[in-house]
Amino acid sequence: MSENKAAVLAFAKQVAEPAWFTDKRVTALETAKDLALPRFEKIKYQRWPIELTKDPKVVVNSLPQEKRAKITVTDDVALEFGQHTEMIELSDELKAQGVIMCDWQTALKEHPELVQAYFMEAVKDDVNRLNAQHVAKVTSGLLIYIPKNVVIKEPLTSYFIQDATVDQDFVHHVLLIADTNSEVSYLENLQTYGDQTTTASVIVEVFAKAGSHVKFASVDRLGKNTTAYLNRRGHLEQDAKVDWSMGMMNDGNIVGDFDSDLIGAGSHAETKVVAISTGKQVQGIDTRVTNYGRHSIGHILQHGVILERSSLVFNGIGHIIHGAKGADAQQESRVLMLSTKARGDANPILLIDDNEVTAGHAASVGRVDQDQLYYLMSRGLSKDVAERLVIRGFLGPVLTAIPSRKVQNELSDMIERKLVDGQENK
Amino acid sequence: MSTLEIKNLHVSIEDKEILKGLNLKMSTGEIHAIMGPNGTGKSTLSEAIMGNPAYEVTEGEILLNGENILDWPVDERARAGLFLAMQYPAEIPGVTNAEFIRSAINARRPKDDPISIRKYLKDLEETMDFLDMPFSMAERYLNEGFSGGEKKRNEILQMMMIKPNFAILDEIDSGLDIDALKVVSRGVNEMRGPEFGSLIITHYQRLLNYIIPDVVHVMMDGRIVKVGGPELAKRLEDEGYAGLRDELGLDIKLTDDKA
Repeated sequence: MSENKAAVLAFAKQVAEPAWFTDKRVTALETAKDLALPRFEKIKYQRWPIELTKDPKVVVNSLPQEKRAKITVTDDVALEFGQHTEMIELSDELKAQGVIMCDWQTALKEHPELVQAYFMEAVKDDVNRLNAQHVAKVTSGLLIYIPKNVVIKEPLTSYFIQDATVDQDFVHHVLLIADTNSEVSYLENLQTYGDQTTTASVIVEVFAKAGSHVKFASVDRLGKNTTAYLNRRGHLEQDAKVDWSMGMMNDGNIVGDFDSDLIGAGSHAETKVVAISTGKQVQGIDTRVTNYGRHSIGHILQHGVILERSSLVFNGIGHIIHGAKGADAQQESRVLMLSTKARGDANPILLIDDNEVTAGHAASVGRVDQDQLYYLMSRGLSKDVAERLVIRGFLGPVLTAIPSRKVQNELSDMIERKLVDGQENK
Repeated sequence: MSTLEIKNLHVSIEDKEILKGLNLKMSTGEIHAIMGPNGTGKSTLSEAIMGNPAYEVTEGEILLNGENILDWPVDERARAGLFLAMQYPAEIPGVTNAEFIRSAINARRPKDDPISIRKYLKDLEETMDFLDMPFSMAERYLNEGFSGGEKKRNEILQMMMIKPNFAILDEIDSGLDIDALKVVSRGVNEMRGPEFGSLIITHYQRLLNYIIPDVVHVMMDGRIVKVGGPELAKRLEDEGYAGLRDELGLDIKLTDDKA
């Protein structure tokens, strides 16, 4: 037995997880060896410390007060620090309707039927090494289940704060299952506390059953010393809709792999990504929609800004499978460069295997419009302020699509701060 | 009192010389009009004064209160009191008119003393009312989707809110119907006073029926060729630019004789 396997077994034993899940880990650990790293156009991350090489350990620290004080929780919230569940609160009303929100260990013990039915069914564990390593070493996560016909008005919110005070990888899994005709709005905050050099592997699987509607918003702020593989994937059944709004505000190197599988007829995914890259960081974002179902709709809109010596790659992939008559795949990727030393890329990729479809793409990498800058400056605004205003306009279409006004404002503030810092360091 | 003086100004765009030694002097309290046929460099003059980086000054000086401002970037010139109402204002999505104008006002004030929001909104509302602009335009994105006339009004609104010492109005009358022309003129006349001067660039005399200038300059082929009072504008309206050119014995081809 390899040392790796022994460590995984030891971890499983210590957290007393059910044997069927440990079996999955062991299998994945084996298959990982033979699998290749996933490939993404123009994103060269293979030499980053992105693989999960450390053995999983039980580390349960409480979130330090100075950080905790900065988080204002609302109702219906989950707050996790590394492997430690700080709080999970769900209103009695939602509980009475059968809504489930629980941490990963609770999910394995109390809702095995859900985990068994859905875990790694949207994201596959046998297609690449990173996914397989994730399954072998997952140490925290969240399960959300919305029963049939349940419509939740107020958003559910989660805070996942990576514990980088210890030399331990962050391997986190979220399952969000919206059952038939349900509706939910979910906001995820992914952050880092501590400055150890670590790897994060975060997988989010969203299952939108027939007729359901999921609004998924995330604000990702992983730390400078965290190298991350972030994979979010939706599995949409008939007439289901998923609205993704993702704010990539990380400080470190990251591969974002965002997919929507439009399985059911009439299913619809809207993916909106806004990203800011600063310093020397590299963010590679690969956003894909795959139309399997007839009359399915997949739209991608991603806008990003790059400063200093950073890089940002947007791949937009629209893939219409043969038989998806009437499908629609549209995408727009735009990168704005604020520095001559920054590197940006926007790659539209359309793969169309059926005739009766509509598809389109737009992509650009460019500089701030000089006419706009001149106009604003001619009213006395400094160049930096003028640039920030133009950028706000550039990111506006993505930001305003985010369902929560609060998140919009939070993201705007964060963008403003990143831009100010980036401008100072140019 | 402030002064704006242009001395022997030569300006090129992409190596083509447009202004060929232009002289002009004005003070606050005065309204000057610059008239001239199309393609004669009127807009180039306004952009050069404001500091558009696309226009290269090859010779001469622009003095604001005696200080040469040619090395100053556009925002510094603006804060020093210059304003240009542009012929084609840029559209800035995502930034509301109201917040933009407030930023512009605050850019002229000390960082720790921004204008109070209450006072600002009151001023803005009154000024928009004065210009027959619905207050809803304050919350619209800057110039985005504005009609030509709305953009021009919005330029005048900014001018009135920012209160520059010198406002250059570059063909503010183009594309305006008579009602809008009156509104725009009302705005400029309201600003008249010892601390305000304006340089009005126009192709037609019509605007000058509503804003009576103190001095009229006629520009041809990159230079001022004649200076006079308001009656000069009327004469041009009657006789056209070609008449004046011939009288002055200038060998200039007018790109558009329909003045």
